[in-house]
Amino acid sequence: MLRVGLIGAGFMGTFHAAGWSRTPAGLAGINSFYPDRGEALARRYGARLYESLDALLDAVDVLDVCTPTYLHHEMVLKAAAAGKHVICEKPLARTISQAEEMILACREAGVKLLVGHVVRFFPQYAQAKAIVSGGEIGRVGVIRLTRASSHPERPYDNWFLDPARSGGMMLDLMLHDFDYARWIAGEVESVFAKKVSSHYPGVPGDYGLAILRHTDGALSHIEGGWVYPPPMFRTSLEIAGEHGLIELPAEGSQPLGLYLHRTEGDDPVIKGVPLSPLAEDPYTTELRHFYDVLVHDVTPRITAEDALAALRIAFAAIRSAETGRRVALEEVH
Amino acid sequence: MRLAIMSFAHLHAEAYIHNLRAMPDVEMIGIADDDLERGRHFADQFDAHFFPSYEALLAEKPDGVLVCSENARHRPLVEMAADAGAHVLSEKPLATTLEDAQAMLDACDRAGVHLMTAFPMRFNVPALEIKRLVEAGTLGQIYGCNAANQGQMPSHHRAWFVDKALAGGGAVMDHTVHLADLLRWYLQCEATEVFAETNAILYGDSGVEVETGGLLMLTFENGTFATIDTSWNKPRYYSTWGGLKLDLVGEKGLATMDAFKQGMTVWRHATERPAWMFWGSDSNQAMIDEFAAAIRENRTPAVTGFDGYKALEIVLAAYRSAAAGQPVALPLE
Repeated sequence: MLRVGLIGAGFMGTFHAAGWSRTPAGLAGINSFYPDRGEALARRYGARLYESLDALLDAVDVLDVCTPTYLHHEMVLKAAAAGKHVICEKPLARTISQAEEMILACREAGVKLLVGHVVRFFPQYAQAKAIVSGGEIGRVGVIRLTRASSHPERPYDNWFLDPARSGGMMLDLMLHDFDYARWIAGEVESVFAKKVSSHYPGVPGDYGLAILRHTDGALSHIEGGWVYPPPMFRTSLEIAGEHGLIELPAEGSQPLGLYLHRTEGDDPVIKGVPLSPLAEDPYTTELRHFYDVLVHDVTPRITAEDALAALRIAFAAIRSAETGRRVALEEVH
Repeated sequence: MRLAIMSFAHLHAEAYIHNLRAMPDVEMIGIADDDLERGRHFADQFDAHFFPSYEALLAEKPDGVLVCSENARHRPLVEMAADAGAHVLSEKPLATTLEDAQAMLDACDRAGVHLMTAFPMRFNVPALEIKRLVEAGTLGQIYGCNAANQGQMPSHHRAWFVDKALAGGGAVMDHTVHLADLLRWYLQCEATEVFAETNAILYGDSGVEVETGGLLMLTFENGTFATIDTSWNKPRYYSTWGGLKLDLVGEKGLATMDAFKQGMTVWRHATERPAWMFWGSDSNQAMIDEFAAAIRENRTPAVTGFDGYKALEIVLAAYRSAAAGQPVALPLE
């Protein structure tokens, strides 16, 4: 049985622990900076809690890195040095040079590096990709992708809001759609972007718009934000081709509705009700695929090089927003 | 009040003639067209008096005229009308060069007649609600705007829409000005910079010489940045001509507008495809009512020739940016 070691027991670690439980792999061990959270997760999924990453690595075949972005580099390098395969949450790294070093280390150690760009595993995004790949809408002309939520909230240490650790909204959130646009329309040549950031005086949110030019001429419009009133979250997708159009508007694919009369003392906002439920959540789909890559040697839907390319687009967007110029991808190192 | 239509080159004339006839104090005295065959065709279709020349029409001393010639041919008709003392409502975009636009403004100034640009979105009821929200400060400071005026390639209505000499360009010329004007109106300031990327992949097999895809990024004096998607991305068999949407992200939240959402889907055995039938309020009628009211009350219309000039300037800056690959500063030299 493939023995999985999970590092990080936060939001993403919790999703991954649940996902692994639905695969043939075994969640063998957990290490967390917050031992109480790690222990709760370990108890729930019958895993052992390890006090150090080194101890965890000794006991597993693959390390699943679900820690904040800035920690990915050192943890992935440790796993590679220990000869263990790695699954790493996106963004692959906080900087391009870190990502390049991680890719090289994994290659030299002969271990796989699989990056959790989960959007590729959402059924609607995967289906649109299949339609485009099948040539059903012809050559892609203009893509529009939106992904925006409220400001990330955490009960403690909100590292998302610290650009030194998360890279900011463009790297953390818009990265999903930078990767997806490149998956659909190929390599990106240049980026022009604008943003506001909650680090600017008096600004409560993060919001960005980016225009991508792909090498073969397609254009992509990417909107991202940590800016909506909670608990609002919206995504949308539109792909126009020479011979057809795919539209998936933000308002439109919820099969369920729930509208309750307000009773005394209730929070009027209903939280945690999935209005677009699936038989299998996309994190599980992703981890089942990674299991097949590791155990049955199937071709990964996303390579570490893809994840690095997405990072380059994000850094080009950040640089464009900071300089006011269109930034060519080749300028980003 | 006596009003007339000069040229049926633009398909909007076919709607405007109904609007004119719906106005109790307006006499639609007739139409003229330099394309005699086209003019006679529409005169017959709408049972309207057909003047054999623009001179003959203007000799009847109409109070005002609607100029619906090809984009590049607005100027000579506007100058003729101004010289004859007729107020002018010109189809958008006002012209295809700033030189022409300025000459039209000057001619109307000299003659002491109003020049109004046909920007019906200023009279679209959902768009007016957004204006009210912005003015009331409901959103607070507006950081960014994601706007789209997409549609079918309009060449099936009139071939000149894709003729660069007559239209002045493709999707960017056709679809930028409505949103550029709305944003100037909402934000009450001018754009300082325009960036644009264009391509010609959509409808690529139709052999057109103009761009069919266009993404613009505008920056305004107050710091607001806004994208406009001008693409002809809807297939010929789409359920409607296209649409106009806008999301405004501000310090207090998000406002969304889908200006033509007030419709219903109709399926007919005769066509075997869905058709979107708009039932919202008619913005063209409100626009022409305002033109007539400005004449009657001897006041400047709510939308001016200068508004048309500034919107055109943004379009022309977009073309320069697309050619240069970098943003272009406004106003243009």
